[in-house]
Amino acid sequence: MLSVNNVCLIPNEDNVFSHSFARGEICVVLGANQSGKTNLCRLIAGLNTRARGAVHLDDKSLEKLSPRARPVSMVYQAFVNYPNLTVFENIASPLIARKASNEAVSKSVTDLAEKLRIDPLLHRLPSELSGGQQQRVAIARALAQDAQVLLLDEPLVNLDFKLREALEVELRELLRASNTVVIYTSSDPRDAFTHGDQLLLLDKGKKIQAGPPLQVYERPSSPTAMALLADPDINRFYRDGKLCALRPEHIELVGAGPTSGNAVDFHMQVTAYETNGDESFVHGLVEGAEWVLRQRGMLPVNVGQTLQINAALRDVVQF
Amino acid sequence: MSSFKPKNNRAWLGVLPVLLIVAFSAVIPLMTVVNYSVQDILDFNSRFFVGFEWYQQTLKDPRFVDAFLRQVVFSLTILAIEVPLGVAVAKGIPKDSRFTSLILILLALPLLIPWNVVGTIWQVFARPDIGLLGWTVNALGIPYNYTAEPLHAWLTLVAMDVWHWTSLIALLAFAGLTSIPTPFYQAAELDGASRWQVFRYVEMPRLQGVLIIGVLLRLMDSFMIYTEPFVLTGGGPGNATTMLSQHLATMAVGQFDLGPAAAFSVIYFLFILLFCWIFYTSVVRSDDE
Amino acid sequence: MARINLENLGFVYPGAESATLDGLNLTIADGEAHALLGASGAGKTTLLNILSGLLTPTSGALRFDDKDVSRQSGRLRNVAQVFQFPVLYESLSVAENLAFPLKTRKAPENLIRDRLDYICDELHIGDLRALKPAALSLFQKQLIAVGKALVRPDVSLVLLDEPLTAVEPRTKWRLRQTLRRVQADLKVTMIYVTHDQTEALTFADRVSVLTAGGILQTGTPEQVYNSPEHEFVGHFVGSPGMNFLPAKALGINDADRAGFRPEWAVLSRANSTPSTAPANSTGIGHITGKILRIRVQGAQAGKPFGLLTVATDHGEVAVRGEFPDAAVSAGDRLHMQLTRCIAYTDQRKVSDIELL
Repeated sequence: MLSVNNVCLIPNEDNVFSHSFARGEICVVLGANQSGKTNLCRLIAGLNTRARGAVHLDDKSLEKLSPRARPVSMVYQAFVNYPNLTVFENIASPLIARKASNEAVSKSVTDLAEKLRIDPLLHRLPSELSGGQQQRVAIARALAQDAQVLLLDEPLVNLDFKLREALEVELRELLRASNTVVIYTSSDPRDAFTHGDQLLLLDKGKKIQAGPPLQVYERPSSPTAMALLADPDINRFYRDGKLCALRPEHIELVGAGPTSGNAVDFHMQVTAYETNGDESFVHGLVEGAEWVLRQRGMLPVNVGQTLQINAALRDVVQF
Repeated sequence: MSSFKPKNNRAWLGVLPVLLIVAFSAVIPLMTVVNYSVQDILDFNSRFFVGFEWYQQTLKDPRFVDAFLRQVVFSLTILAIEVPLGVAVAKGIPKDSRFTSLILILLALPLLIPWNVVGTIWQVFARPDIGLLGWTVNALGIPYNYTAEPLHAWLTLVAMDVWHWTSLIALLAFAGLTSIPTPFYQAAELDGASRWQVFRYVEMPRLQGVLIIGVLLRLMDSFMIYTEPFVLTGGGPGNATTMLSQHLATMAVGQFDLGPAAAFSVIYFLFILLFCWIFYTSVVRSDDE
Repeated sequence: MARINLENLGFVYPGAESATLDGLNLTIADGEAHALLGASGAGKTTLLNILSGLLTPTSGALRFDDKDVSRQSGRLRNVAQVFQFPVLYESLSVAENLAFPLKTRKAPENLIRDRLDYICDELHIGDLRALKPAALSLFQKQLIAVGKALVRPDVSLVLLDEPLTAVEPRTKWRLRQTLRRVQADLKVTMIYVTHDQTEALTFADRVSVLTAGGILQTGTPEQVYNSPEHEFVGHFVGSPGMNFLPAKALGINDADRAGFRPEWAVLSRANSTPSTAPANSTGIGHITGKILRIRVQGAQAGKPFGLLTVATDHGEVAVRGEFPDAAVSAGDRLHMQLTRCIAYTDQRKVSDIELL
């Protein structure tokens, strides 16, 4: 177990952060830019950061250890590889540093390369690879360290959609198998479900909610927590003086939605309609607030029209 | 770093020659020169402090004033010719022909020739008796003799400088022009812009940066011109083509008037600095408008 | 404004072995918002350059209102274009930029003033008139570029070349909406060239899907998405694209293959009798498989939904929708009852089959 205690993640912010990350689980740390995600990683890795606080791995303090001596490996947003080493040498570098035997090195490297599907590329240089392949090499190198803590700092953010999708699934399967503490940071709400066993929401250096993704999704502790996990945003309204909110995907056009007994009804003045075929987004005004609803498929909607919409009562979150 | 706008960086390039002068030739020599300029040096052991006397004398010296005016006229003349001509040449270079690199190499040739060789080439080239240029012009019935006629000497000098340095402006301008993305030309075409409007509104704004560098380089370089007129005309006929640097050399080396020459040098140096400053600030101001 | 007509239009680059465009036929109505959707290498840019007059077609004809303009320059055709990144005159103010296409044509001052007021009003850019482009955001710059394209009252066609490429992701949709609104207000014929299906499907009245082989389908966004005429269209539009299985695997006999969108399936566990799906006596549109990967995207009324990758006996398929229950995990067997599918022979559509 990796515990981080009373850490100040963002300089000049009063918020302190504490959390324990379990072994064998992937924890997705979700937060906007500047929420302290990268500082958390750097703190754990012992890299130069202005964040200060205690980090313990299984009750042993890591504080006095240099980054090199820590059992921590990290994958960055940018594709960081040794440009003058081949893919094989890149992946082998942490093993060679540990003075592993030649057979052991070549066996581990081949295994990892096969798992990440870069085995045909072992003799190329990083510059001869695509972005997705370069990041696979960086991930393979991090895994080769066999560290007890693996930090992935938005590793897929610079990849295009198709590559991302392919790598996401493989990555999750690979990470599952180990007894490592895996921390995966992201600013994309879609990553919460894809990668995480556990989800931790971070806002301005503060933990605002943590738990299994679906639980966080269904029972957000605050509007901020709910909005962090919303694509593209949440819809707010007031009932009996209390703030309520709905996720865009929970709103239905009347006729398709739940029967009115267990539903709340609204009128939406449509201001914009967007679709990529698979999904449609309808932006509009509801009770004076800007709303957006998200539906599968295409909708017969025109800008300017007023829509009858509703949502199931149990999907309404009340704060 | 983000407050470091590109135009500021360009300006640094602009003053780079001055900075280099200061760094290499000025730190110790300049102090020595300043020291000389306030003393009367008879020989190594007898020297007297004279204050600003040499400065006053230099500024009042008609030979200095003449040389200075000549210098200003020369620099402005060659700038007025080289900049428009350079831009015109750059516009004439095809952008993606297989001859492009050949043309660029040919253009760069004059820049590679040592200055005294340039002087020598033109000295021969323009001679009325055996020079191709001089002989041809005379053969056409126009009396031409740059060694005797001050105006002819001037024209030859200007022609030589234009021949030598227009390429620099042309190469800079060409680099500027090639950096303009083709959609800008396409958009202007569809907007119905004339060729002049394309030049005025698409190309000129993009050329401004490189042209500032070009003008600064040429201004300072021409202000310090020495070798070519020295070889070509020796400053003559009379003093018709004696520029500041040659006048200075005559004083310091020829007549060994170390004190006045030192005062001259300081004034000369301050003038170059002043010119660059005026040019730079006026450009920056018009940029901000 | 004009009706645009492509007749057997073809283009071969000099020295190229095969034609980049071959036998294109397309009619775009006066005032229509049309999108050309295609991957890179499909010939989008070539077609765009032919429309703008930069290239001359090597065969066939391009007509504006029945007049053959194939060999006419773009400025004579009164075409305007918005580029991938904002193209403005940097030394001119916003107002001067907007007036530029009118000034070059020596339009009278009062017309220029009226058009400027009108465009500024339409695009809500009145506040920016006195500014230089350098003071604007990319979004604003591109808005001005759009205004410049629309300023001439006699413009016959406005070309939009992936105009959202350079705009910040968060503001893309606003510009997209503005374009859509302005197009509807001004009724200018617009052709929007893009590889992005959201842009094409959101912007256009009709979409043409372009590949190296030509135009595979022209139709409304709904037609293109829900009833692709060609297998490539189904595959290219949609993310993930359409699933294709041998027609026989779905109980369809008179076609080669059958395609269905990920969301055209009702999902249930295969080991239980499919109670949620009504028994289908014909056996058409049923398929079972083993779940390979799960991608949860949310939950509604307690039931998770998302994307499932399923291995069937005939290949992998992706389905999207409400999961049978919250405990679904990789390895479970899944039954899929299709709501509709489309039959293809030789990659061409044979029929739409409604199943539920």
